[in-house]
Amino acid sequence: MTAIPVPRTDYVTRAAARRRRNALAATAVLIVIAVFWASPVLILVGTAVKTAADFNAHGATSWPKSLTFANFRAAWDVGQFGTSFVNSGLVTLVKVPIGVFLAALMSYSLAKLKINLRRSILFLMLLGLTVPIFIAVVPIFTMLRQVGLIDNIWGLLPPYLAFGLPFEVLILTAFFKRIPQEVIESARIDGASELKIFVRIVLPLSLPVLITVAILDAVATWNELVMALVLLSSPGHRTVPLSLLNFQGQFTTNFPALCAGILIALLPILVAYGFLQRWIVSGLTAGAVKG
Amino acid sequence: MIADTVQTALPADQGLPQRFRRTRLARNGSLAGWAFAAPALVVYLAFLVYPALTSLSISFTSWNGISPTKTWVGLQNYVGLIHDSVVHTAARNNLIWALVTIIVPMSLGLALAMAVNTRVYLRSAIRTVLYMPAVLPLVGVGTIWGWLYQPAGVINDLLADIGLGSVTHAWLGDSTTAIWAVTVPAIWVRTGFPMLLYLAALQGIPAEYYEAARTDGASAWQRFRHITFPSLRATHYIVLALSLIETAKVFDLVYAMTDGGPGNSTQVMGTWMYFNVFQSYNFGYGTAIAVVITLVAVIVGIPYVRSQARQLV
Repeated sequence: MTAIPVPRTDYVTRAAARRRRNALAATAVLIVIAVFWASPVLILVGTAVKTAADFNAHGATSWPKSLTFANFRAAWDVGQFGTSFVNSGLVTLVKVPIGVFLAALMSYSLAKLKINLRRSILFLMLLGLTVPIFIAVVPIFTMLRQVGLIDNIWGLLPPYLAFGLPFEVLILTAFFKRIPQEVIESARIDGASELKIFVRIVLPLSLPVLITVAILDAVATWNELVMALVLLSSPGHRTVPLSLLNFQGQFTTNFPALCAGILIALLPILVAYGFLQRWIVSGLTAGAVKG
Repeated sequence: MIADTVQTALPADQGLPQRFRRTRLARNGSLAGWAFAAPALVVYLAFLVYPALTSLSISFTSWNGISPTKTWVGLQNYVGLIHDSVVHTAARNNLIWALVTIIVPMSLGLALAMAVNTRVYLRSAIRTVLYMPAVLPLVGVGTIWGWLYQPAGVINDLLADIGLGSVTHAWLGDSTTAIWAVTVPAIWVRTGFPMLLYLAALQGIPAEYYEAARTDGASAWQRFRHITFPSLRATHYIVLALSLIETAKVFDLVYAMTDGGPGNSTQVMGTWMYFNVFQSYNFGYGTAIAVVITLVAVIVGIPYVRSQARQLV
C-alpha cells in the first residue's frame, strides 16, 4: 500500500501478516454476505436453466443436473419481451436526452445566469422530488385522452419529463455551481452569446455529470410502473414492467419458465448495471453527499 | 457589462412605462436567465404542477371519469375517507412501510458500509453486488419474491431444511403476515443506497481521529459512538430525508406481489387510490386519497427541499 520503504524488522512483517490475515477473513465474511444478498437472483438463474423434471424432483435450491435453454424459448414466446424492450428502449432513448438537456438549461440559469426569483424557482422544482406520481395520473389520463394519446407509448413522454426534472435539476445545479465564474466571464468578454457559452463550454465541461444523470434517469424511466399501467393497455404497447406483470400471471405452475422470463426481462438492466455501475455509484454519492 | 453600467446610471423612472419595463429587464440581465429556465419550467408546470392542482379540484367532485360533467360534492370524499376502513388499513400499512423500510435499510446500510470500509479485498465488487437490487424494476423484484414466498416455495423449503418446518407459512396469503412479507424485498432494494452514502462518508473521516482515540485507549464501541456516528450526521439527514420522500410513493411492490390482498389487508394509499379510480371508477374519491398522501409527502419533504434550495443558490 505505502510507497515509503520501511525497515523490515521481524515485528513489522508479523504485523503485516496479521493485517493480511484479518483482511482475508473480513473479505471471506463479506463474500458470504454478498452471495446471500444476491441469492434471490442466483436461485432465479439456477432454476431458469433446469428442466421441469429436475425442478420438480429436487426443488429450486439444488445444483442443476443438466443445463437447458428450453425455458428461455418458452418464456420468450409467451412474454413478448422483444416488443416491450423496443417500447421501453424507445421511450428511454427519447425521454432521457430531452429531459437532461432541458434540466441542464434550467440548472445553468439557476446556477450561473442572472434570473429573478432564483431561489423560488429552485424551491418549486425541488418540491417535485416529494410529489408521488399518482397525484398526476387522473389529470394526465384525461389530458391525453383529449388528444388521443392514450395507449400510446409517446403519451408517457410529458409526465416522464416533468417528473424527471426535479432530480436532474438538483444534481446539475449543484455541479454547475462549482464551475469557476471566470471561465464563463472570459467567454462573455470574447463576445460569445449565452447559448454559445452553454453549448460550447459548459456542456463539454460537464460531460461526466451529464452522463451520470442520464444513466440514473434512464434506469428510473425503464423501470417506471404507475404511469405506464394507467396509460397503456394493448399488449403491443407494453413497457418492460407491464410485460413482467402480465407474464407472471401466465406461468403459475411452470416455475423454471417463470424464472427464465423474469431473467429475460431483467437482463438488459443487469447488463447495463454491470457496465455502468461506476457511474451510478459515483453519481449517487456525489449528488446526495454534496447537495 | 458596459451596457449594464450605462443603464444603471440612467434614472430608473425616465421614459415611457413600456420602455422602463424593457430597461429594467435588460438592466437585471435576467432575459437570458429566463429564456434558459423557461422550457423546463413550462414542462414542469404543465405536466406536474397543473395536474396536481387539477387533482385537488377533482377531489371535491363525484365523477366516473367518462361523463363530461363532474358533480361538486364539497368535502364529501374527504369525509368518506375518515369512514373507510380500507383507508385506515392503508394508512397503517403506509406507516409500517415507512418505519420498516427506513429504519432497517439505514441500520443495515450503515453496518454493511462499515464492514466494507475495513481492510478488505474486492471492495468494489462487493459494493456492486450489494447495490444491485436497487436498479432492478420493482415489478421484477416483486415477481421474484412472490415466487420465493410461494407456499411450496424456496423460503418455506429453506425454513424446513434448517429445522424450522413449524414456521412455514403462506406468507403472502395470510393477512397478518402479508404486509410484513412485502417489506422484506423493499429492504433488499433499499439497503444499497444508504450503504453507498455511508461508505462515501466513512471514507471522508480522517484516520487520525481513530488513531488518537486508540492511543487514548477508546474501545471499538466508544470509537463508533464518539467518532463514527457523529461524523455521519449530514449523511443520516440526507438518507432519512430521501427515504421519507420515497416511502410515500410505495405502489409497485404491493401491486405486483399481493394486489392489495388478501382481503385488502396490504392496501397502501397508492394502490387503494388506483383501485378506486381505475377499477371502481370513483375518480373523485380516488383522487382525494392521492391528495392526502401527496400533502403528507410534500409537508414532510419541505424542510429538506428548503435546505437544499438554500445551499444551492
